[in-house]
Amino acid sequence: MATIQYILKRLALMAVTFFLVMIIIFLLVRLLPGDPAIAIAGDRASDADLAAIRERLGLNQPLVVQFWQFLSNTVQGDLGRSILMRAPVLDVIASRLPTTLFLTTYAVALSVLIAGPLAFVAALNRGRWPDAVIRTVFQVGLSMPVFYIGLILLTFLAAQLRWFPVGGYGDSFAERLYHLFLPSVAVALYTSAIIMRNLRSAIVEVVDAEYVEFARAKGLSAWQILGRHVLRNALISTVTLLGLSIGNLMSGTLVTETVFAVPGVGRLMLEAIFARDYPLIQGLTLTFAVLVSIVFLLTDLIQSALDPRMRLT
Amino acid sequence: MTRKLVAAAAALTTVLTTPALAQDRGGVLNFARYDGSTLIDPIYADRNPDIWMVGSLFDTLLRPSQDGNSVVPGLAEAYAVSEEGTTVTLTLREGIKFSDGTPLTGEDVVFSLNRARDADLSPWAGLLGTLDTVANNGNEVTLTLSAPDPTILSMLATFTTGIVSKARFEAADGATDQEKSAAIFAAKNAGVGTGPFYLCGFEQGTSMDFCANEHYWRAGADGKPLPYLEGVHFEIIPDDATRILKLQAGEMDAAEFIPFSRVAELEADQKIDMNLFPSTRIIYSPINTRPTRADGSPNPLADARVRQALNYATNKKALIGLVLQGAGKPMTSPLMAAATQLATETDPLYGYDMDKAKALIAEAGLAPGTEITFTTLAGSADDSTIFAALQQMWAPLGIQLKVEQVDNATRGAKNRTGEFDIHTYGWVNDVNDPSQVTGWLGYFPTAKAVGTGWENEKFNSLFEASATEMDAESRAGQYAEMQSIYAEAAPLLFMYETPFAVAVAKSVSGYVQTPLGNNLFEEASINR
Repeated sequence: MATIQYILKRLALMAVTFFLVMIIIFLLVRLLPGDPAIAIAGDRASDADLAAIRERLGLNQPLVVQFWQFLSNTVQGDLGRSILMRAPVLDVIASRLPTTLFLTTYAVALSVLIAGPLAFVAALNRGRWPDAVIRTVFQVGLSMPVFYIGLILLTFLAAQLRWFPVGGYGDSFAERLYHLFLPSVAVALYTSAIIMRNLRSAIVEVVDAEYVEFARAKGLSAWQILGRHVLRNALISTVTLLGLSIGNLMSGTLVTETVFAVPGVGRLMLEAIFARDYPLIQGLTLTFAVLVSIVFLLTDLIQSALDPRMRLT
Repeated sequence: MTRKLVAAAAALTTVLTTPALAQDRGGVLNFARYDGSTLIDPIYADRNPDIWMVGSLFDTLLRPSQDGNSVVPGLAEAYAVSEEGTTVTLTLREGIKFSDGTPLTGEDVVFSLNRARDADLSPWAGLLGTLDTVANNGNEVTLTLSAPDPTILSMLATFTTGIVSKARFEAADGATDQEKSAAIFAAKNAGVGTGPFYLCGFEQGTSMDFCANEHYWRAGADGKPLPYLEGVHFEIIPDDATRILKLQAGEMDAAEFIPFSRVAELEADQKIDMNLFPSTRIIYSPINTRPTRADGSPNPLADARVRQALNYATNKKALIGLVLQGAGKPMTSPLMAAATQLATETDPLYGYDMDKAKALIAEAGLAPGTEITFTTLAGSADDSTIFAALQQMWAPLGIQLKVEQVDNATRGAKNRTGEFDIHTYGWVNDVNDPSQVTGWLGYFPTAKAVGTGWENEKFNSLFEASATEMDAESRAGQYAEMQSIYAEAAPLLFMYETPFAVAVAKSVSGYVQTPLGNNLFEEASINR
């Protein structure tokens, strides 16, 4: 019951957040220098053409009127028409979103798969060479920009060795796993480095904790201790971090999707910004806000399930 | 759709491999593009990625000749312009069909031209500004003009006059012309154009498929109808490096907009033909010539001598080496690329001469340490290189060049309002005639001479006179004079022409990008 109440409360808070996001993005987009009418009609358009376009898009209305229209349309589920794509914003986003969600989920899964086991190996070998090697490699991963890692992966694993396709995203589920492997790895390297570092120190901390020593004294086997005490406790902060990284991952798709020619919402956002496609920028920002809010909510729920001490309030 | 295309291509290839044919037929060409099309319609196409594809789907009445200097018959097998230059009669070829097999009639032509010149619909309507009436009598089409128009034949070979099926267009969903056009584009099937291909697949921002029009009227080298290809599959790959990698990995057969820094490397690649197609693309920098800057302070660039000095002090050969790795040439006409008709070769146009530059600066009395702002595109490596080079090259003139980096939309807005000193820009002709670029760069009433604010009465009146001058020689004379006035006044920093760099696998032949940028696939073939 408490959980449902908590979720309702969070949803109400989310509505407030979205309202604020809408105000901010509406104003930010309009603060950008440049004119969407010129972006549409091109530099060569006459003043009369530009005026006609502004009129058609309602850009000649006072800001308050424009915002009210944006707000009331959005509440009714209408995000307007994309200027660049000449289609409803919702349709455009809906056609591109699954690819990005696939890529992000894939990257998160890979991050956990890479970081989890290595964190254990590093923590349990604290101070010895496996720990040093793992930590150094991830340090390098952390310090390289995603597009650079992406290009290196593409050049060697795709273009030269031909193990993977260079970009694209495939049709079937299996094809997608194959096509999106390199971009996911490129993104996951960064995230897994953060998770690995955090999980490693969490494990180290837990292993040193008194209750683990007590468990050991009770005669529990190493695996029992690991499963019952270490993992569960070490995971708490990692889940928070993972939740935060998903927000990061989504913004990371702006670069990844461009380098790997993956047609997702990240690349769409870049295209929208360059074209001053106000409705599309607004729609995408809201979409990102919704997704990140959902991820944060889930993170909190999982966290409280892992640690009953964390009360949902 | 892609898979269907591939399957069809595979089937066809097996059939074709047995007998040895002189001409390769079949196969799907995979083409990597830098940006996607959003709508391919002769009148609504307004970005180059749209415009350059129109010709593959829609034929025009006339076609540009191979050398680009004249027009040749297209859908019209014969054409004549009356003595006084106000009537054009065209005879349509017999037996032309749209890609769904329905015949082309004179009514389709009337419908298409009326649509193209309707200013309420088409942003390109101005190109047909002199068109008064269009009528047909069977296969005879007659255009009457309100004034003699020396550009009319070129216009009839320009994408915006592509012929659309009247029946198909009117039957499309949607209440307005614009909605109908979008519906046809989204429907992805045959019938709306007579071009060598029809659009058979489309995913917004991702990919696009052209399928061969089996009713196409032009014959190939083997006597059978063009195109040779079964289809073209386009993928949108905005990242330069990725586009090239895709080509090198054999996943793509061609990649466009190769950065010039990679040209030499690809030229050395055994499996790739690195094409540098001649183009009408020029790179120049508009100079603000207004007496005062936007903030009200006096503008040192208002003095023509200062602008001339900047041109003399700019070593174009060095710029071409730095930015294009040598793959370009200095502008020889102040208004257009050498590939454009009526370009006068005033070579060298402001050849490098530092002494002359210094003398002009002294004569103009420019104070040492004068600050000038150069507006460039943020993120453009080319623009950064140009800025760094100019900063060095102009320092001996006592000019302190400062950089201001903006994005494309901002640069466009600044150009329009005159809030700049100098900024980078570029141009590619849409029409196979010098009037468009000349109007854009020099004629004040249309766009304040590309935003420079430069106004010259003699130039303006020559331009207006040339718009109705039917005598080719006199018109060439007017253009020569305009070019010399413009060169003298130097409202631009004249930089260079660049080719279109398209890398194509050796297995592909016959692909061409025209000087106007149009991608021609009709005579392309693959030998896998």
